[in-house]
Amino acid sequence: MIRLENVTKYFPTKNGRRYILRDVSITIPSGVNLGILGRNGAGKSTLMRMLGHIEFPNRGRIVSEHTFSWPLGLRGGFVGNMTGRANVKFVCRLYGLDNEEIEKVIGYVREFSELGDYFEMPIKTYSSGMKSRLSFGLSLAFDFDYLLIDETLSVGDSRFKKKSKEALMKKIESCNVLLVSHEMKTLRELCESGIVLDNGEMTYYDKIEEAIDAYNEINKKAS
Amino acid sequence: MALVARKPIQIFIAVQKALFWRELGMRFSTSKTGLFWTFFAPFFQVFVFSVIRGAVLHHDTPYSYPLFMAVGFIAFNFFTAISIKSMGAFEANRGLFVYKQVKPIDTIIGRALVELYITSIIIVAFLAIGFYAGEEIVPQNIPMLVVGFFWLMIFGIGVGTLLAVGNTFFPAIGKLISVSTILLMFASALFYSVETLPPFAREIVLYNPLTHFMEMLHAAYIRELDDRFVDYEYMLLWTLGVLYFGLWFYRKLEERIISQ
Repeated sequence: MIRLENVTKYFPTKNGRRYILRDVSITIPSGVNLGILGRNGAGKSTLMRMLGHIEFPNRGRIVSEHTFSWPLGLRGGFVGNMTGRANVKFVCRLYGLDNEEIEKVIGYVREFSELGDYFEMPIKTYSSGMKSRLSFGLSLAFDFDYLLIDETLSVGDSRFKKKSKEALMKKIESCNVLLVSHEMKTLRELCESGIVLDNGEMTYYDKIEEAIDAYNEINKKAS
Repeated sequence: MALVARKPIQIFIAVQKALFWRELGMRFSTSKTGLFWTFFAPFFQVFVFSVIRGAVLHHDTPYSYPLFMAVGFIAFNFFTAISIKSMGAFEANRGLFVYKQVKPIDTIIGRALVELYITSIIIVAFLAIGFYAGEEIVPQNIPMLVVGFFWLMIFGIGVGTLLAVGNTFFPAIGKLISVSTILLMFASALFYSVETLPPFAREIVLYNPLTHFMEMLHAAYIRELDDRFVDYEYMLLWTLGVLYFGLWFYRKLEERIISQ
């Protein structure tokens, strides 16, 4: 269960506050894979970051007994002048793994990410697709209750995309995913339920189809 | 990998370990010149100032002057590496804040621990060279020396936190401080002892808390020197003061620093 209690989040702009959430209270049941929908700037990524505890509500709080991954996005979360291996090691240490476990994770990530020799090279030599592959592989190595995924599935060539999706399908047999995506096909495949963010409001839909309909309705109105 | 619930202190230790190995790895792998300079700087500084002093003053000190300076420069470099160089720590480690375990202040503490480690190696190197050169290099009061370095580290973390938080919101602070490092070097009793100064100059340099640290460390190391000018209460006041204000501002602004 994820519960938002009177959560308000805004960003100050020149034209006053831009609200992402305006006094939102909502309870999201456990055990469902969630798609997050909203127009550009509606606050999908901000919501992810708040769930990942690296962004904070201005008022109210978010309560959950679950563990969340770091938000997996295109930006990575890696240190440029360290090698892929060193970055993986670093994250493993953050999560308190011992050396044996670290070696296991390294083996898994190296194989999954298909980086080859690049795995031993500094991250700054990577393309953004390579970074995402590493980041995605690394997040799959841990047993979080929720994976926070922000569009990362749309990177890489079509073969790797397919592989990622398959790996994620397998992964969500044992965990859940919160997915931001503009691809309705992906959302339908992976998620049962949905959240729509619009104009400071957040609505939960039991069925992803309903969420997609609501999102399409918002788009129609805007155009 | 299964994740187990951890206490905050366990998370803190795991983060510090991760940061320590990361920082060390980066120093040894990326910047060979930087690493070389880290170890070479104190030797170079001692050499240069010995030559200058030899040219300007001809009277001898009753103790080994290079040793006196080595203590001062190593301690001063240690302090500035923790405090002044922490100024950019938040910006440099921004990418790491995507992991909720890493708090901005962890990066300052991590840096301090790496500096402690590197400084220990430098001290051992100095002792080995001094021993080989036949200087009398065994410290007079080892516990006091250790206490002094740890205290200096904590003071450095306090100053570093204050500067790092300040610099995040007012980048002008950074430029000002970088310029004043060299001034601080001359005003901290690094390569002279307070005793040798005229009374009015003594009074001025003793306002500088670093002067007290340097005098304390010199006294702990060198038998012929004592800590008569060291005001431990004054040092404590400064340490608690910078820690209090540093942490107070930090707590207020932590969330903004993370999500900036």
